[in-house]
Amino acid sequence: MATTIKLTRREIAAALSVSAVLLGQTPAPPVPQNSALSPDDELKAARDAIHQNADQLAKFPLPMSTEPAVHFKA
Amino acid sequence: MATIPDDIFFATITEINQKLKAKEFSVRELTKAFSDRLERLGPRYNALALSLRHQADKEARDVDGDIKRERFRGPLQGIAFGAKDLLAYAKQPTTWGARPYAGQVFDYTATPLAKLAKTGAILTGKLAMVELAGGPSYRYANASLTGPGLNPWDPTRWSGGSSSGSGIAVAAGLVTFALGSETSGSILTPSAFCGITGLRPTYGLVSRHGAMPLSWTLDKIGPMCRSAEDCGLVLHEIAGADSKDAATGGKSFYYAPQFSRDLKYVRVGFAPADFDDAAEPAARADFAKALETIRSLGVQVTEVKLPEFSYGPIISTIISSEAASIFEPLIKSGKVDELADPKQIAGLKAGLEIPAADYLKAMRIRSLIQSAFSDLLDNVDVLLAPSRFGPAPKITQPLDRPASSTPLIPAGNLAGLPALSLPCGFADGMPIAIQLVGRPYTENTLLAIGRDFQARTDWHRRRPPLNTIANT
Repeated sequence: MATTIKLTRREIAAALSVSAVLLGQTPAPPVPQNSALSPDDELKAARDAIHQNADQLAKFPLPMSTEPAVHFKA
Repeated sequence: MATIPDDIFFATITEINQKLKAKEFSVRELTKAFSDRLERLGPRYNALALSLRHQADKEARDVDGDIKRERFRGPLQGIAFGAKDLLAYAKQPTTWGARPYAGQVFDYTATPLAKLAKTGAILTGKLAMVELAGGPSYRYANASLTGPGLNPWDPTRWSGGSSSGSGIAVAAGLVTFALGSETSGSILTPSAFCGITGLRPTYGLVSRHGAMPLSWTLDKIGPMCRSAEDCGLVLHEIAGADSKDAATGGKSFYYAPQFSRDLKYVRVGFAPADFDDAAEPAARADFAKALETIRSLGVQVTEVKLPEFSYGPIISTIISSEAASIFEPLIKSGKVDELADPKQIAGLKAGLEIPAADYLKAMRIRSLIQSAFSDLLDNVDVLLAPSRFGPAPKITQPLDRPASSTPLIPAGNLAGLPALSLPCGFADGMPIAIQLVGRPYTENTLLAIGRDFQARTDWHRRRPPLNTIANT
């Protein structure tokens, strides 16, 4: 994760130059953001998707001895 | 100053390496030409996150000194490459493609980039990506700090993601190779959509130290290149154990095509429906030809059926749970609302509410998936399927509609298996590709098939129309 570090003026200038690059990007072509959903509705839809996933998982019979996958072997 | 011919921008690592050794041009000249091209064309396709021209020039000067003294470090020496902007490069911005992290700077360099630096490869730029590598899910192609990845074959179409800039930059000749990452499809999809060759290594083969985590148990770093041969050369350098990434299994990878198995002993399994009913109609003819070409290599081709699991809900539960935990500070700070894609914002928030029991159930079923694939891969050495069932969608098309994704993408990722995506033709004027999936650590087998396939086809040599690149 990010840590606090000391930067020289040159390094700060380089870091700031990223915004110049971003300004040079092609403006996004019109993408239909016609998500008629409000943020609350989006959250509800995401929760519904999680519940649907859980329902799918619940249908799968698991032997009690099955442990979670934590090792990957050749 | 030597002029760099246009062909060099689309040449393979080996071809460029030979010209550098023959001193047809210097590494500085080559690096300058690639930097110019990346800065000029990269923004047109929303492929560039950050040019590293000055650092690259300094590195190139050092490598030229080595070549002058005939100190050859290997085939990647002097080769210009780019890295997905989820890999840290010390003291330079690493944005993860997301506005909340636009000013983020690390004081260390990701292990794969540090390894490539030792080979003399020249990092010319950080490449654009879907924000947070796609997070739990996203709806629109413009879910990125840099806008939608525009496909060099047709800029009205999407490049694929989340390694969008990596796919674009290789396809458009802006770098010779790039590093991407895959949690579930993020190397294979842009490789397929952009017409390049991409390798998803076995889970744990390549260190992720310095890479943005999205899902600890699924994330992988891999090469995106012009050919299977190039993928082998890059993987050779970036693979291996790293004490800074506990997931690395202590395995190395030696690209050794001279010792590859005779293909007549290699068993390739495929599901006929993948090449017929499941494939989009426009893609079926070239998929069928690709299957015939694979047969012509002398491998033993047999029909198989994938184990039946609900791959989508399982991988979605795992990614959502792990991503929500990783990005909990972002979510709880409210900065998650600065992301571009409303579906991703909602998905991250909702992910915090997934019960531990659901996550563990998904991980337990995942154990059975691994066993099932282990059994399946006792009977065949390689699984073959389309990388995607059709070509890249329009950038205006919502991406969360009925998918053209093959079940082998989530299945292969859940089982930690390596995969190689090979361009195999066109549909609606856009590239399509097949994928080869093998047992863990059998990258050399996949690459041997890929090399032979590419010796008999020229799809990987095709370039996007020059007028498309020049006039966009």
